[in-house]
Amino acid sequence: MLWRAHHLISGKTTFDFLGKRKIALIASTVINVLSIVGVFTLGLNFGIDFEGGIAIQVRAKQGDIHLENLRTITSGLGVGEVSLQEFGDNKSALIRVQRQEGNDQCVAHADHVMKKRAGDGWKVEPGAATTGDVTFTSPASLDSAAWRDAVSTVGLTLQDRQLPRANSNSVKIDMSHEQRAEWCQQVAIKLVEDAIGGQYELRGTESVGPKIGEELMHSGVIAVLATLGAICLYVWLRFEWQFGVAALVALLHDVISTMGLFVLLHLDFSLTALAAVLTIAGYSINDTVVIFDRVRENMRRYRKMSLIELLNFSVNETLSRTLMTSGTVFVAVLALVLFGGPVLYSFSIAMLWGVVVGTYSSIWIASAMLVYLKLRPEQFRAKAEDAKAKA
Amino acid sequence: MLNLPRWQTIAIIVVTVLAGLLALPNLLPASVDAMLPAWYQASRINLGLDLRGGAHFLLEADLRGVMNERLTNLSDSLRGEMRKQQVTYKSLDIDNGKSVTIVLRDEGQRSKALDGVRAVDPALVVTGSGDTMNVAYPDVELTRKRKEVIDQSIEILRRRVDETGTIEPTIVRQGDDRILLQIPGIKDTTELKRKINQTAKLTFHLVDENVAATGQNVPSALPPTTFLVPTREGMQALRAADPKKFDEITTANPRLTPEQICRRYQPPCLPVFKRVVVGGEDLDDAKSTFENQQQGGRPIISFTFNGPGGRAFCAATRANIGKRLAIQLDSEIISAPVVQSAICGGSGIITGQFTTQQTQEQSLLLRSGALPATLTIIEERTVGADLGADAIHAGTVAALVGTAFVILFMLISYGPLFGGFASLAMMVNMLLVFAGMSVLGASLTLPGIAGLVLTVGMSVDSNVLIYERVREEKANGRSAFSALATGYEKALTAVIDSNLTALIAGVLLFGFGAGPIRGFATSLSLGLLTHLFTATIFTRMILATWVRWRRPTELPI
Repeated sequence: MLWRAHHLISGKTTFDFLGKRKIALIASTVINVLSIVGVFTLGLNFGIDFEGGIAIQVRAKQGDIHLENLRTITSGLGVGEVSLQEFGDNKSALIRVQRQEGNDQCVAHADHVMKKRAGDGWKVEPGAATTGDVTFTSPASLDSAAWRDAVSTVGLTLQDRQLPRANSNSVKIDMSHEQRAEWCQQVAIKLVEDAIGGQYELRGTESVGPKIGEELMHSGVIAVLATLGAICLYVWLRFEWQFGVAALVALLHDVISTMGLFVLLHLDFSLTALAAVLTIAGYSINDTVVIFDRVRENMRRYRKMSLIELLNFSVNETLSRTLMTSGTVFVAVLALVLFGGPVLYSFSIAMLWGVVVGTYSSIWIASAMLVYLKLRPEQFRAKAEDAKAKA
Repeated sequence: MLNLPRWQTIAIIVVTVLAGLLALPNLLPASVDAMLPAWYQASRINLGLDLRGGAHFLLEADLRGVMNERLTNLSDSLRGEMRKQQVTYKSLDIDNGKSVTIVLRDEGQRSKALDGVRAVDPALVVTGSGDTMNVAYPDVELTRKRKEVIDQSIEILRRRVDETGTIEPTIVRQGDDRILLQIPGIKDTTELKRKINQTAKLTFHLVDENVAATGQNVPSALPPTTFLVPTREGMQALRAADPKKFDEITTANPRLTPEQICRRYQPPCLPVFKRVVVGGEDLDDAKSTFENQQQGGRPIISFTFNGPGGRAFCAATRANIGKRLAIQLDSEIISAPVVQSAICGGSGIITGQFTTQQTQEQSLLLRSGALPATLTIIEERTVGADLGADAIHAGTVAALVGTAFVILFMLISYGPLFGGFASLAMMVNMLLVFAGMSVLGASLTLPGIAGLVLTVGMSVDSNVLIYERVREEKANGRSAFSALATGYEKALTAVIDSNLTALIAGVLLFGFGAGPIRGFATSLSLGLLTHLFTATIFTRMILATWVRWRRPTELPI
């Protein structure tokens, strides 16, 4: 079957895309409205990158993993919401622990961890409620190195001025509530590690503090907006403003419906997912630009054609390459979905969807938008001739 | 289109071969790789932490705490100076962590009070009027101090994390008050956090000459007042002879005491009295300098004691002339010089087989001891080595299968000849990406591999654009020759357009990028850039060469 070329799409198609633009627009509007409603009501399943919190990958030391067993262990820890899922194979699981607040319960956890890791005599207590202060008390008089070692078991660094004075076995660490909240992520990791360490092997740990989570969320939104804006601007400069706006609408369509997919499938929306969204935006515009390019070319060539005819003609002319280019990326991404492993799963699924929906929106939405934006071929031609005359 | 200048053909071939050579070390098995010269081995893509295993920490320095401490010291000095100038005040307090506010009893004493402030530090800025004075450090000074705190922290982290000098951590400043710490191949982050928390500890001990006189390196019995400490030269010799053992010592948990090290590993040790003559807390300053030329001009550390430290040192040296005084840093004796005379000037020097870099590091550690600011971990990502291996496996399989899918797709759609051309261009593109990443020293992460797979899919796109256009032109009745030339030229703008728009997303993603996402943005953007080369020039060369060679009348497309 490889000895000759196969035309997957026969050379000349005359499908009336624009005639069905109402159906396409209604379908897309429904999908997008549902996506937006989904995002705002059910919410995106934000990963720890944006939400903050802890993710621990574990593997059973013996036999298969039993999520029930894990759930029993972790639910009793008092670290808030814990979600469990199988990860990759049936020996491994991903434990997600919600972002820790810097409350007194976290100090009690620190006390627990410290007693276990540094010795029974250690005590950790919260200070005044208006501050995030924490007081450490050692079982005996210890030198500074021993103090540092002990305190580092709960992930804290000490400075000389923070060490206890002579004749004292306790020290108060000044912290704001925010600082304590950051530290509490560390405490929770230790607590979970201690609880599951016997039966499970820890393969990887991630923790994102509240501050970083907020920052990533903020810069993520900016990155998406900047990408959409920059691409729209590029298309506007290359073509006409109607093309720029039509491209933007198509892009928003792709981005919003991808978000909808994340809600629907309950996929983890992490940094890699955001990367997928941006890549989809950058990729789906390709087909749109190819079609626009042809529309412009045909506007110059076929002066008598109506806009609808012209658009239909251009979309059909470019249909085979639109589908072919999407096809190559589709098969590549398919390999990622099938073999890329659990870490890339959300990303790959989103990309696969993005390739399909991006192709659809390039064919239907972007060109239909040109009709609604009242692109007038005559006006465009006049401009082009003007430019020619000047040159 | 078909008249490609000869120099362009040569340039294309040179670039491709060069890229192949640059990418080659990545593909060779380790055994072959070891035989290559070092500069050539260096041309290699680093694996990101998520693939090779390791730990990534983002630490935030508590600069506010540092500034508060500084203001506390300032208010102490101001109180003292006001007393000296006989200025009376209603209050003298730290105001919202930015300045010290003095409220005078008598407005008339303002100029006197100003003199007092200048005496503390002429750089201080005073605002406010009447009886109120706000004293603060100038912004320039605060900026400098912040930078100093971060730089010092980075220096100290580097030394603590990389005691053995073999693990190549990445430690860089991020933003104003953050430090990014990446350590490949680390398993136990608890141990790492303990290390970060350490401080350099300096003590002076007299050598127990009675025990030393027995000539035994590790005597079985010791007086209760004496313990054994390995010498620095001894430890270095041990490290050279048996690096594994040395690693075992530095990573032992719980940490080994100096005496345990001596007994278990038997490096050259010295018996010293447990009593500390003077400790590092009495050290005022330490700096790296050189001894004078007559003595050899070697790098040394000079130090100054505070008052009590100086007196204790003076008394101890006076009473022990002719005996050795051991200088212990952490769990090693750096040197044990013989006391020649009483040292009462409050200062002294440490000599030893140091390099300038070592004396600089050591004096920095002595000076600052602990970290200058509390560091909080605000982001942590640890990947075990076996998890990384799993990721590499999954990534490799996905990449190979993806490539196979794409090649198959192209062969079916455009036949063995044109499909083959496209696959060749795609593979050259991947070669260029690998070469580019090697040259840039970029890290390949798991999302980076995903970026490569996407690049594979996207980089045949331009061939598709060209081929489809050629088909159209052919259908329009053009000759083989003309269809190829026109098709290529007309497709070119679309090729460039589509690459540039995708590149916009890639570049913005890189700017936004944190951690592994940067790896994705890097491989994707690089792929798109190199693709501009393969899609335009390389493909053209292949087509032109083929046409000139076969002179086809019919295009098998």
